[in-house]
Amino acid sequence: MLVLFLLFRFTPFAGGLGLAFANMDLGGGLSWVGADNFEYLLGDPLFWKALTVTVVYTVIAVPLVIAVSIGLALLVRRAFVGVRFFRSVFFLPVITSLVLAGVIFIWIFNDDGPIPALLDLLGMPTGSWLTSPTLALPAVAIVAAWGRFGFDMLVVLARLNEIPRELEEAALVDGAGAWQRFRHLTLPQLRSVMFFLVVIETISSFQVFDAVYIMTAGGPVNSTYTLGYMLYDQAFKFFNFGYSAAVSMVLFVMVLAFTLVQRLAFGKDET
Amino acid sequence: MSAVDLPTRRRTGDVLFKPRGVGRVIVPLLLAVATLVTLFPFYAMVVLSLKPAVGLTFPQALIPTGLTFDAYEAVLGGNDLLRWVLNTVVYSVVSVVFVLLFASMAGYAFAKKRFPGRTAMFWSFLAMLMVPYHITLIPTFVLLSKMDGVNTYWGLIIPTLANAQATFLMRQFIAGIPDALIDAARVDGASDLRIFVQLILPLCRPILATLGLFVFLWHWNDFLWPLVIGQDSDMRTLTTGIAGLMRESQPLNQTLAGSVVALAPIFLAYLFAQRHFTEGVAMTGVKG
Repeated sequence: MLVLFLLFRFTPFAGGLGLAFANMDLGGGLSWVGADNFEYLLGDPLFWKALTVTVVYTVIAVPLVIAVSIGLALLVRRAFVGVRFFRSVFFLPVITSLVLAGVIFIWIFNDDGPIPALLDLLGMPTGSWLTSPTLALPAVAIVAAWGRFGFDMLVVLARLNEIPRELEEAALVDGAGAWQRFRHLTLPQLRSVMFFLVVIETISSFQVFDAVYIMTAGGPVNSTYTLGYMLYDQAFKFFNFGYSAAVSMVLFVMVLAFTLVQRLAFGKDET
Repeated sequence: MSAVDLPTRRRTGDVLFKPRGVGRVIVPLLLAVATLVTLFPFYAMVVLSLKPAVGLTFPQALIPTGLTFDAYEAVLGGNDLLRWVLNTVVYSVVSVVFVLLFASMAGYAFAKKRFPGRTAMFWSFLAMLMVPYHITLIPTFVLLSKMDGVNTYWGLIIPTLANAQATFLMRQFIAGIPDALIDAARVDGASDLRIFVQLILPLCRPILATLGLFVFLWHWNDFLWPLVIGQDSDMRTLTTGIAGLMRESQPLNQTLAGSVVALAPIFLAYLFAQRHFTEGVAMTGVKG
């Protein structure tokens, strides 16, 4: 077991650090190039493009999935007949591979599919989302949100369940409306859970790959070329393993920063 | 973890969160819309996979008439789908068995045995939890290609067996088993191996079931690692195989038929073991 760990977790990690400072040719020969990969990275417009795309993607995807999760958690909070059905349904996408679901989502966002057709009816002709440099990234974010909201919803539900019922009862007696109760009572109670979700969703958005690979392959014109995709693309299309490792180190630092924020804020493991 | 311990039965007098006024219309409406959005892709996937290859245009394509199993016949007969099913089953089942075995062994050692460097080693495990999958991808691949592990089953499986998260969870669970039980067994003359097999493992059965299901799901849906390590068509798994069909612009109905075949086992398992799924995902956190 320990041998396995050494071989397949620690070695790759150290190796990744090393590789980021090296070049590997096709025969597998390594040559030490110092910080060249990073220097090249900083001067590479594609890297800056990927970084921008990743950040924009995160800014779209994270609020989207969290807002949907909180909304739905509020809807299925009360124990009513059939609530179990709704909770089960909302969890289905969580266990579904986004690669497999991505195949149908390509159709859904395509010229032939429902979303452009319905928007056209509403007088907003968009054409196919996946061939549009402005709409392809939001389409990927929507699919990712579809795949994740069920999990976040459970986290929010668990927290909602801990809020003392007396608070809500008191607010009701005082005649507070639904929005007032949500805004001044429920929402403040959800602050810590929202923070937790922002952190884990941000970490996952930084690394988005599956949905990008299947739906857009980074295109059109690199509008969905995320860091996660770049790292794959550089290694397995252009065989720049050292360069790809440098990209992965940037990603690692971004993820690590957010993980540390989470650990500091919570002090311990929370999921 | 009781994160999924939620009220599901109607409590008499649970009027607290009952919608009032306009809410009485809006709440069911929103629930209906959310359910529709959640389920629509699955419905579209199944119906389109049962249609002929041409003329898959909204809205006609969604009307379930003129259904045919042509796409399934083509995809099951014409290419490597059955091989991919086999590969995915091998990848998932073998991994589950060994991940559970290794994780419970290491978990037992970390929780109950004293040995030099235990704390340091455990902390380095925890640190590995923070290193994302993508970071180790390239070096692991380079390592495996030097060991001639590309396009082999062992190359696919072995690197995923060292699962830090599973080890951590097993360690937490086994730490909760009273030392007195282990001491009693030892006084009775049981060896370490015997204690592990006959005492620890049976006590761990509930967590092994949940964790096992999750590890299975994770491997079944895994994409990036099988994508890079199984490059030949006959070493693909279902996810990478179907992504391949997509990239090769195979007819949409056939690609969808493949997706339905790949999703069906997970859905069946979810129907029968739903609680384990929610618990597993709640316990292990983020989806793979």
